[in-house]
Amino acid sequence: MTTEATTTATGTPGAEHDEGTVLRQIATMLRELPDAGLDDAEITRETLFHDDLELESIDLVALAGSLREHYGERVNVALFIADLELDEIIALTVGQLVDYVAESLRAAERG
Amino acid sequence: MAKIRTGDITTHVQRLPAGAAGGTAPEGEAPVVVFVHGLLTDSLASYYFTLGPAFSAAGVDVVMYDLRGHGRTDRPRTGYQLEAFVEDLAYLLDGLEEERPVHLVGNSFGGTVAAAFAAWHPERAASVTMIESEPPVAAWTGHMAEGLAHARRELVRDEAIDWIAEQHGAHTARLSRGAGRILASTTLAEDIPSGRVIDDDLSAIRCPLLAVFGDESGLSAQVPELEAKLPDCRTVVLPRQGHSVLVEQPTRTRDLVLDWVRAHHVPGRRAAAVAGAAR
Repeated sequence: MTTEATTTATGTPGAEHDEGTVLRQIATMLRELPDAGLDDAEITRETLFHDDLELESIDLVALAGSLREHYGERVNVALFIADLELDEIIALTVGQLVDYVAESLRAAERG
Repeated sequence: MAKIRTGDITTHVQRLPAGAAGGTAPEGEAPVVVFVHGLLTDSLASYYFTLGPAFSAAGVDVVMYDLRGHGRTDRPRTGYQLEAFVEDLAYLLDGLEEERPVHLVGNSFGGTVAAAFAAWHPERAASVTMIESEPPVAAWTGHMAEGLAHARRELVRDEAIDWIAEQHGAHTARLSRGAGRILASTTLAEDIPSGRVIDDDLSAIRCPLLAVFGDESGLSAQVPELEAKLPDCRTVVLPRQGHSVLVEQPTRTRDLVLDWVRAHHVPGRRAAAVAGAAR
């Protein structure tokens, strides 16, 4: 899993753990969620899962599954969510999830 | 997304093995907890984002699933009697090859399903936790018939949804609209009150039972009766708390149920269950 791009400096544009790359990846996962109707949705860091995308909590379960499929053990979404209160989950932005995923990937790289 | 064939439908299930959400996996056989969610506005997400990860981190094998008609499990038009929900769970445990007796934890209607499962599959139930639930007795079907008929009348009306949005916010209004869709497209409202029940003496429930209530919901009035009828029963009534115990007091609920499961965990029950079945 080690490549030139991922062993160089943190935040390298285009690297897997770069926030922009993670955002594009998560946006793709969201658009591909079954039954969520987000095929053409505009998704930015500020987008709210609940109010903007109108995702039901069961859609977030599916998203957590997509993240696990893509990133494997390196990103533990269950752990991230376990630390949030219900109202924090409702107010969750795409950017918050992006930052968590990017930081997890960097931490996994550091070993 | 894991889907498992359970009789005539496909059921959405999520598992979190012990230690998967941080913490450490226990030595020896871990207890297994099956979380059963409530009716209409609910799905396995209520546990996936609350108790599920906490239990996994505490060394429990966690099973969460969507009841028929809910979440990402199939929604047939008919077939919502209590025994259908119970058989789905039996099929699910078969499909997961789960041989350990399970600790069932149910919220509201989920607690009724849990108690019914323990009554009708006693060899597979290690304990039952009911959070703001009634056991599946005749009086329960009466309460459900009333509540469901009212919900089916109201939740299809836009004015009712608008009122809910004003009183309880957009989130609750959206959940209510989803509930209205289930009621309008299925026979659930008639089926649930017409299903199988257990005798009023509760003698069918033979495993230990924990019942948690909020003192403001009205359901806590069952406490003396539960304690009198069940030989191994613990009741907890939370002060200044309504029906939404799980949502409003997740930490308290987690601690109560974890302590309960640990106290009733008998490692090696898998072997004992097999030997028991052979007798």
